[in-house]
Order: sequence, then C-alpha cells, then structure tokens
Amino acid sequence: VSGTILVADDEDDILGLLRVHLTRLGYEVVAAHDGEEAVRLAAEHRPMLAVLDVSMPKLDGLEVTRRLRAGDDGDMPVILLSALVQPADVERGLEAGANAYLRKPFTGEELRERIEELLAV
Amino acid sequence: MLRTVVRRKPRLVDVYLLVGAVAIGVYFAAPADSVVQTVYYSVVGVYGIAGLVLGAQRNLARGARFPWYLFAVGLIGFVVGDTIFDAYLIGNGTLPFPSAADWIYLAAYPVLFAAIALLVARYGRRRIHIALIDAGIVTFGFVLAQWVFVLAPTAQATGSLLDRSILVAYPAMDILIVAPLAGLIYSRAARSTSFVLLALAILTMLVADEVYYGHGVNYRWLDGFWLASYALWGAAALHPSVAALGADAEAPRPRLGTSRLLLLGLAGAAAPIVLAVQTGRGANAHPYAVAGFGIAITVLVLGRMALLLRAYDAARREAESSRAVLLEQNEQLRELDRLKDEFVGLVSHDLRTPLTSITGYVELLESEETGPLTDEQRSFLSIVARNADRLLRLVNDLLFVARLQTGRLDLALDEVDLAEVAEHAVAGAGPRAGAKGLDLQFAASGDTAVFGESGRLGQLLDNLVSNAVKFTPHGGSVSVSVKAENGAVVLEVADSGIGIPESERARLFERFFRASTAVSRQIPGTGLGLHIAQAIVDAHGGRITVSSVVGEGTTFRVELPPATVGAEVHA
Repeated sequence: VSGTILVADDEDDILGLLRVHLTRLGYEVVAAHDGEEAVRLAAEHRPMLAVLDVSMPKLDGLEVTRRLRAGDDGDMPVILLSALVQPADVERGLEAGANAYLRKPFTGEELRERIEELLAV
Repeated sequence: MLRTVVRRKPRLVDVYLLVGAVAIGVYFAAPADSVVQTVYYSVVGVYGIAGLVLGAQRNLARGARFPWYLFAVGLIGFVVGDTIFDAYLIGNGTLPFPSAADWIYLAAYPVLFAAIALLVARYGRRRIHIALIDAGIVTFGFVLAQWVFVLAPTAQATGSLLDRSILVAYPAMDILIVAPLAGLIYSRAARSTSFVLLALAILTMLVADEVYYGHGVNYRWLDGFWLASYALWGAAALHPSVAALGADAEAPRPRLGTSRLLLLGLAGAAAPIVLAVQTGRGANAHPYAVAGFGIAITVLVLGRMALLLRAYDAARREAESSRAVLLEQNEQLRELDRLKDEFVGLVSHDLRTPLTSITGYVELLESEETGPLTDEQRSFLSIVARNADRLLRLVNDLLFVARLQTGRLDLALDEVDLAEVAEHAVAGAGPRAGAKGLDLQFAASGDTAVFGESGRLGQLLDNLVSNAVKFTPHGGSVSVSVKAENGAVVLEVADSGIGIPESERARLFERFFRASTAVSRQIPGTGLGLHIAQAIVDAHGGRITVSSVVGEGTTFRVELPPATVGAEVHA
C-alpha cells in the first residue's frame, strides 16, 4: 500500500502520533497545523485521504471537509478525528461530508481499520 | 399489654350546659303558673348571668371582658323585667300595660346590641366590607318580613299611641339584634365553638320573641326557648374558645359556603316571598316596602359582586405576576443548564486531547517497534495505560451523566444478543479478576436476544461486571448469567463481595451516591456507574434490581424485554 495522506491537527503531539502510525502503514504524510493550511496542502498534494481534527484555528475540520467536497477532490475520503464525542458532534461531522468520525483517544488499530475500509473500494 | 386510658376531665362548660338542661326540665316539671315555677324562671336567668360573668373572668383578659359584661347587663335587664312581671302576676293576677317591666325589657335590647356590635368591631374588622354587605342583605330581608308580617299589623292595631308604640318597639328591637348578629356570623369569629353558642343563644331568644309577637300568644314551650337562651349565653362565655375568638392575625379569604349561600339566598328572596305570602292570604302586600327593600337588597348584591370581582382580579393579577417570575426563573435555569452542558463539553474535550497523546504514545511504545522493552518497563507502561483508561472512563461517565440530565437517552436500536455482550464484558474483566484470584464464571441459556443499542448495553455490562470484580476481595467469586425467563431476558451479576447495607439500597442508583461499605474500604469510584446503568436499563424499557447481604455478596438483576417485544415497543 502506498500513497499520500493529509493529516491536520493543531496539536503537534497528535500530528506526530498520526505521522508514526501512517508511516508505519506505508503512507506518505503531509501535515497541516490549521484548517487553511490543510486546504492549501490538499490542493497542492492531491492526497488519497485526509484525517482532520475538528477544532482547529482559522478553519475548523468541518469547514475544511465542506471545501474539499466542493473542490476538485470532491470524492476524497475524509476521516474526522476529534475530542468532541457527543452524538450531536458526530452527526455534524457526517453532515459536513466526512466518511468517518473517529473519537479521541483513538488506537492505531482503529485508525488502520478506518483507512483500509475507505481505501478498499 | 399495658394500656393507659386517658379520661377527659369534664370541662366546666359541659357541666354548666348539663345543669342548665336539667334546670329547664325541672321548670317544666313544676306545677304550671305556680309561684314556685314563676320564681324559678328568674333563677335560671340569674344562672345565665352568673355563667357570663364567671366565663368572662376565667377565660378573658381584662381588656376583652367588656362586651361580655354588657351581655350580662342586658340579661340582668331581662331578669329584672321577668321579676316585675311575675310580681304583678303573683300579687294581683293582672298586668298593667305598659308596665315597668316593658320599659326595662326594651332598655335591655340596645345594651345587647352594643355588646354584639362591639364583638363585630373587634373580631370582624378584616374583610369587613364583604361581612357588612352580607349582614346588610340578611338584615334587610329580615326587616322586610318583620315589617310586613309583624310591625305593620301591630302599628295599625287599636289602642293608644303609647300602647301601639311599645308593641311595635319589641319587634323593632329584634331588628336591632339581627343586624349585628348577621355581621358577627359573617366575621371570622364565626368558626369558634363559643361563637356558635352565642349565636344560638341570640337566635333562640329571637325565635321565641318572633313567635310571641307574631301570634300574640305566650305558648308554654316558648319559655323553654328563653330559658335555653339564658343558659347558652352563659355557656358561650364559659367555653374556653371564647379567648380564641378572632385570635388569628391573618383573616382567611371569606368563603362562600353552602350555608352562607342559603342564608343570603333566603334573605335575597325576602321580597318575592313576602309578596307571594301576603297576596296568597289576601293581606296588604305593602308594595312600597317590598319594592324599597327589594331595591336595597339588589344594590347590596351588586356591591357584593363588585367586591368579589375585585378580589378575583387581584388574585388573577397576583397569579400572573408569579407566573412571570416563574417563567423568568425557568429561563435562567435553562441558561444555567446550557452553560453547564457547554462547560462539561469543554472539559471533556480538553481532557481528551492530552489523554490522546498519553494513550497513543504508550501504545506505540508497547508495540515495541521503537525497540524491545524489559518486563519492568512493560509493567510500568501498563500501569500508565490502565490509569489513562481510568481517567478516560471518568470523563466519559461525567459527559454521559450530563447528557442524561438534559434529556432522554436516544438509542440506535438493533437486535442484540445480550449473552454475547455479557461474554465480551466478562472476557474484558478477565485480567483484573485473575490478578485478584477471583473465580469468574459466565453462563448463558435460551434465546437472549434483546432490542437495543449494543454500545450502551456493553457499557451496562462493563459497569456491572467491573463493579463486581472491584468490590469482591481476593479469592472470591463473580458469576454472570444471561437467560430467558418468564418472557424476559434476565441478566444476573452476582459477587461474593463486601455487600451493600439495606438502608442504602434505595439510594444506590442516585448520582454520585457511594455505599458506606465502599467508602470505608477506600475503594475508588465516582458513584456514577450504577446511575448510568439504571439510565441505560430504563432507556431499554427494562428494570434493574439489587439484592445484597453485607459481607456475603451482592446480586444485580436486569430484566429486559426480549427482541420481539422490544421491537414493538420501540416501533
């Protein structure tokens, strides 16, 4: 398996964690620290999948998802990864167009399963 | 069995009334119109006066005695009148008219009037408007009847002007008594026994008077009424409740009871009744009097209505303003609730973010892809992981409880095999049970499918099983069973743990409640687990119960509707 995955989170520690997991799975990782950067990197790198935090500065993960859906990569799989875990939060995420919603804290196993599910097709 | 019989000591007033009744009986037993009987009549009168004076002195403060002394003065007038009357009869058998007795009798009535009026002024001051109007209606009705049936015929009878004046004066005096009596009936003093005795005394006297005037005949039984009136008057003063007349500071709203309505209705109907009676017997209908009193009564009824409406309006305004206050408080509460939710959400989010890094990096280390771990390192890391997990569980529980408070639990329903969920929970608790040397058993039988949300049911099972493991000492046992029983799916989690005292079982499912047996052993916990468990069971239409013996163990029993029934309930 190979390809580029975009990850976005304002917490460096979590970006680092994602980077380790995804690199081990064999993906290239491009990392953004806020929503605007995520949108820019998506346009630049054309990733095969995005893992986005919801609460980020400038643009939140929901807005980034909406923009990705409206742009050239409208059908790119998006996983939202958030510490907002109420059912209403999950609903908002899926409504914004995300393919999956992963609650923090997450395990490497959960992340791998979601990605493989979404990329299997 | 020992039993104490409490005998009520007979009160003075009871004895007094009993003696009075016997005295009246003795009066009728005496030879009619004998000297003995005639003198005895006055003796009963003195008995009434004695009751009044004694009662006022025993029961009332110095300042409150005056009206009752006035009653005594009025009754003395009557007794003196009686005595003069009797003296004539005994002396020469003829009675001059008018005699000194008539003057004294007539002078006694205003004294009684003053006494009743004083009582009304003292005890009826509050709500006096409505009381006065009601008294006015009753009085006008009485006056009209008195005028047409008694006064007018008497005034037109033959005799000298003085004779006729005196004959008219008696019924007029009764009017004088009725007016303040009606006022007293409608004052707040009306509810004490003493008042009832007083009103009965006055009414008994009035009834006898009216029959006497109306028919001009002194029936023998009328004497019984007048004598009873004396005794009742004394008893009213002797009854202990005389001190409580109007003692309550706050007057209740006047109630429109049945008796009150009847009396008012009767008085209000006085005009048509008088008209009908007089027309029926072909007598003078006194149209001007009927019309005049009819109008007066109507005006009072209108005034009564206006007062009621005003009271009603005031009550409604009060209700509206308290409603507005309630609405505002409600709004504030809702705002507080919203702030609390926001706060809990924020705390949850901000605790989860660092927890994500902790558990994530521990997981990376434990995978040993960064290098092999020593046994000690691995054991330390598992301690970090376990505590991070505990912290996460706490955050989850708090968030869940906050959500429970704001609304019902929405479930994503599906057919779930409860046995499978239970088995999973038992497997999850295996390492902890093993570490404590517990014998952990699981058994399932029958169709154990329920209709519910597997995530929530898992949470329920985790809570119950981990509680059982937590509260069972080393070497004990925990057994989990799921079975179909009597049309329900029954889960039982039984342990041989520390137990829960009977007195605390009712509060066990309350938020943040912790059993004393858990607290005293310093077993950690938040008191949220069972609260959450009950909420989940409730949301699934089930029932959770507990049985326990301190020191021997606890069994939680959950009954859920089977999948077939559950599907219908939730459809």
